[in-house]
Amino acid sequence: MAILSVKLHAAAPPPMHGISVAPFLLGVAFAGLLAAAAEAEEIVVAFGAEPTQVEPTRATAGVDAYFVSLFYEQLLNVDPELERINWLAESWSFDRAGADHVLSVTLREGVKFHNGDTLSAHDFRFAYERQRDPMSRAAGRFRYVRDLVVHDDRRFAIVFDEPDAAFVPWNLALWAVPRRHFEAVGEVGMQMHPVGTGPWKFVSRKPREELVVERFEDYWNAGAKPRAKRLVIKIIPEDTTRVAAFKTGEVDWIDAVPPAQVQAFSRIPGVRTVSLPGPNNLYIGMHATDPRHPLADVRVRRAVAHAIDVDAIVEYVVHGQGIRTAQLAPGSVGYDAALEPYPYDPDRSRALLAEAGYPRGIRVNCYNLTTPREPNIKEVGEAVFAFLSAAGIRCRIEQMEYGAWINLLRVASRPRMDGIISAMWGHGLPADPTDAWSGHLHTSTDAWGRNSYHSDPMFDGLVESLRTTMDPGARYRLATRIARLKHEQVAGGLPTYRPMISLAWRDKIAFRPWPAAGWRSMYEIDLAR
Amino acid sequence: MRRYVLNRLWQGAVAVVGALFIVFVAQRLSGDPVALLLPMDATEADFEAMRQALGLDRPLPVQFVVFLRDALTGDFGHSYLWNMPAMDLVLERLPATLELALAGLVFALALAVPLGVLSAVHRGGWIDNAAKLFAMLGQAMPGFWVGLLLIVFVAVQLQWLPAYGRGTVGHLILPAIALGWYPVAAMTRTLRSSMLDILQSDFVRMERAIGLPERAIVWRFALRNAAVPLVTLIGVYFANMLGGAFVIEVVFAWPGVGRAVVEAVFARDFPVVQAGVILAAVIFVVVNLIVDLTYGLIDPRIRHE
Repeated sequence: MAILSVKLHAAAPPPMHGISVAPFLLGVAFAGLLAAAAEAEEIVVAFGAEPTQVEPTRATAGVDAYFVSLFYEQLLNVDPELERINWLAESWSFDRAGADHVLSVTLREGVKFHNGDTLSAHDFRFAYERQRDPMSRAAGRFRYVRDLVVHDDRRFAIVFDEPDAAFVPWNLALWAVPRRHFEAVGEVGMQMHPVGTGPWKFVSRKPREELVVERFEDYWNAGAKPRAKRLVIKIIPEDTTRVAAFKTGEVDWIDAVPPAQVQAFSRIPGVRTVSLPGPNNLYIGMHATDPRHPLADVRVRRAVAHAIDVDAIVEYVVHGQGIRTAQLAPGSVGYDAALEPYPYDPDRSRALLAEAGYPRGIRVNCYNLTTPREPNIKEVGEAVFAFLSAAGIRCRIEQMEYGAWINLLRVASRPRMDGIISAMWGHGLPADPTDAWSGHLHTSTDAWGRNSYHSDPMFDGLVESLRTTMDPGARYRLATRIARLKHEQVAGGLPTYRPMISLAWRDKIAFRPWPAAGWRSMYEIDLAR
Repeated sequence: MRRYVLNRLWQGAVAVVGALFIVFVAQRLSGDPVALLLPMDATEADFEAMRQALGLDRPLPVQFVVFLRDALTGDFGHSYLWNMPAMDLVLERLPATLELALAGLVFALALAVPLGVLSAVHRGGWIDNAAKLFAMLGQAMPGFWVGLLLIVFVAVQLQWLPAYGRGTVGHLILPAIALGWYPVAAMTRTLRSSMLDILQSDFVRMERAIGLPERAIVWRFALRNAAVPLVTLIGVYFANMLGGAFVIEVVFAWPGVGRAVVEAVFARDFPVVQAGVILAAVIFVVVNLIVDLTYGLIDPRIRHE
């Protein structure tokens, strides 16, 4: 951002000797107009977190979706009203073919990759092979898939051993990757220079500094085509600096407005802010698989639930930027308005502990995440553990950065969690708990129960059924039933609230948030006309 | 002299390998990188397969020897996260770090030298008291806080300079001040004490007796003699700035080596951490060697035998 240099140019034009100044000034003015026009086509945005992987098969963290969704697309998408819509798929259907379950897909015509190749079913066959490779980050999504069969350039079928309802919330799981281009440039080439069908074309990237993209002129979807010509994404991890860059006009749009500043931002003239429910749900995980551990007793888990004043945490720790949930938020599959969160009642909590045989309370290890994966997450965990300690569930708090925390949370790695952990799960937008509940409730330590500290054959059967129940009405009823049982048993963790995501942009920007990448999808972005 | 340099380089190589070994072991004690690389639904078998693919299933001494062998051939491994050579990832940030460290050092010296000299010359006077106050503030205010204050007042309120990033000279000014702020205090105090000693010495009295102008005595002769401890500090702080400017780099979103390496530590991106440590250790060794050799240039009485 050339604030200094612009001011210097304006203040000190070069001295003119012996010639008329007017043509020069006209020239300068014209050049200035051209420069301004070029600049007007460019929008500068700032993200707080930076993805590392931009190729969808290798993406792991939620932040990777920020960049992946610029370049790559799936068969389905979710629109700003949270309706799932056909995207690269013109049509699709789940059918029975004998003992098999078949997902038949017909692709749109005329979809181009950034390199000019036309999208075909063979690209999806290639993507399927890559994605189900054990080294892929998405292999688990193809657990029930036996094969992908290409019928012709536009039609293919995915053959399942069992129906898989989670495939729909994953937008049919596959990403469009250009087979021929990939084979030519290889893994590293794709990572360094991504080529997809998405609305933005890669221009350049400086890790930890910026990503520059330009509008893909041959983008197939005119309705969602960005009108801005060029987008510069700056990476500014420090909140104060990101906010300062926005206030000085160096950036036009910012991600992750700090919760304490959302109100103040909304009062700045010429600035628009929006706070939207994000794709995560915070919860308190409890070690309930060891029968000798106090938390294996449902009364102790209920004592935990009554001990935490979540409303106060939402109001004071995250400045109102959260939606309280009993199990699921409105709009989620399985949402039940009648299900109320556990009320804050420390006396009831102590009584439950006494009833469970712990009249003097218990001592547990409490693990807190300190890396800011969600706004004020460290402080939220500290507040939770303070409430617990006050009610007799005395916490030995261990603060953990993300790497250590994720190791502890996952049952496939060591060491394993042995107490209470402040955690979050992603349920997507619109929210579907199928995959997350499997991870939190299933007994097995494989992909089913990947971060489950609960063991109950009833829940095992229920989450397996949820995964294979395709009928929307039946799925909703089953999810509602699981939510109620989960709530009563305080099983698979105690949900607390759903964090809001706050974005801000100047009036000169016309921006409509799309929910992909946690509302950071840059489809409809332009300079206001 | 040649023997001295070769000896120091040999010691430096041992120090680099020693530092690398400590970091190599420490980061592997800090946790498993595989959990950060695999999806949430990865199984224990997936973990094992990934560890094997990355060579993390081998005994630690074997991993270290393999790493050293590869490093000697210029192969420092690939970043787990960025899928590119680890040393390239670090080296491409070195110019930004050098630029910031040099600017920070220039800022620190531009303040510390006049303040240190003037406070010694005017001992007990208002300049001396002001310099002491300034030095105290410098040591009391951490660089990141100075950086945030500069952003709020100079960038946001006054809108004189950019708040973040690298590009023009304007982008360099605020982070250089924040980085150079802390060393100003130590350099000022060191130079002041050293100058006070020198100004009391026989050769200065002699110069005054023969009628040399006071300005020449102070700035040409006394300062040169008082500069030896300052040069030591310059070496230490410059090496620190090159290797440890992480906080300032984060505050100003400056794309330097420190930020890359610390973020790699949190991401368990071992190859990048190792490449960063090697680079930092080599810089420390070289800067300290240059400082030692500079003593002889400043004060001919010092010889390296």
